Amino acid sequence: MSPEEIKSTVRTHILAEFLPGEDPAALTDSTPLVSTGILDSIAVLGLVTYLESKFGITLEAHETDAQHLNTLTDIARLVQSKLSAA
Amino acid sequence: MEFELTEAQQALQDAAVRLARDELCDDMIQRDAERRFSREGWKKCAEFGVQGLPIPEEYGGSGADPITTIAVMEGLGYGGKDSGLIFSINAHLWTNSIPILKYGTDEQKRRYLPPLCDGSMIGANGVSEPDAGSDVFSMRTRVEKRRGEYVLNGAKIFVTNAPVADVFAVYGTMDPRLGPMGICAFMIEKGAPGLRLGKPMDKMGLRTSPMSELILEECVVPESARLGREGRGAEVFNCSMAWERACILASCVGVMRRQLEQCIQYARTRKQFNQPIGKFQSVANRIVDMKVRYETARLLIYKVGALMCQNRSADMDAAMAKLYVSDSFVKSSLDAVQIHGGSGYMTEMEVERDLRDSVGSMLYSGTSDIQRNIIARGLRI
Repeated sequence: MSPEEIKSTVRTHILAEFLPGEDPAALTDSTPLVSTGILDSIAVLGLVTYLESKFGITLEAHETDAQHLNTLTDIARLVQSKLSAA
Repeated sequence: MEFELTEAQQALQDAAVRLARDELCDDMIQRDAERRFSREGWKKCAEFGVQGLPIPEEYGGSGADPITTIAVMEGLGYGGKDSGLIFSINAHLWTNSIPILKYGTDEQKRRYLPPLCDGSMIGANGVSEPDAGSDVFSMRTRVEKRRGEYVLNGAKIFVTNAPVADVFAVYGTMDPRLGPMGICAFMIEKGAPGLRLGKPMDKMGLRTSPMSELILEECVVPESARLGREGRGAEVFNCSMAWERACILASCVGVMRRQLEQCIQYARTRKQFNQPIGKFQSVANRIVDMKVRYETARLLIYKVGALMCQNRSADMDAAMAKLYVSDSFVKSSLDAVQIHGGSGYMTEMEVERDLRDSVGSMLYSGTSDIQRNIIARGLRI
């Protein structure tokens, strides 16, 4: 799966779950999600569960911080690294 | 849309009502005053199958669906007076049995579920801390991994069943900076080195449900004691809360029905100014409000059960039910005291105890404010 496909899938999920009613164009690849509070700690837990289920990967606790999940680009990079290692 | 229980569910609920009415009410005023847990009542409930209701038969339960489970709990609340005992059973079921069923290894399921179902083992839940109540994932109990084992240090409060428990679901964090993603859950048995009870905690109500602090001092547990994945204890806790919010107030709905019938009977027979007090509109209106609250509370609870039966998400509906039923329970309990007047304030009438028991429902399993937060989150606002 390409990074663009991953970003598209995750973007759709985040817009539906955490940003309903927002202009989809406002969620860019570099929009900060964690540091701006779009995803709070409970939402991160939900996102991680979603990513594991959707992509069949396993994320470790240290991979669930803002460094790894702050933007769609970060998320796609993390997911792809997991898929590649599988 | 079906509003009636099936014949089998109704028969089971009726049997639960009889169990509670005939076997669980003995010496209630005294036991409440002495804060005495009824092991006999616990065993009778286990023999009936209450503690194994939602657990599959292969692990010693009956595999009842959520609606059936709710129906039995409602029956116990309606027929009985020992809300503390039913609260203890709820804590045992939702914080031990269900998380073990969902996240336990095969070994954990076989070790714990049969005795949790047959009542020979009592479960308790150690999650709240002095500085981590509603903000539960800010807990300070630390989990360190040393040579393949986990070492826990910290203190838990509000541990329902702790003084009588054989096994504890305990949560701690491997790194507070990770928030919910740093939490680990463990099943720790009584007698484990470094695990001890703190001081007993007295309560306004639910006094027959024992509670104490739980202290962990260099408590070493093997990896096999971890429930769920490392750092994913929050998922275990959320699973526990999802069931608890859905089911813990079913017995309260039963109590509301009992209160309603008791108040109607009292309003018909108690005379003042040469007529039954029910003829006074102020009294009748209170009873009408109790009836409307009971009916709406029941619908909300069973709607959650129906959603769970269909494997549909019930988070927001469970939060709405929890919020509404607890608020209604307190209001109706207060109305029941008011309708009975000075007698209702007296312990002997056994009306005031329900009021004391009801207040906790707005606090445990997430306060009413937390339920509002969950609902707001569900509304995406």
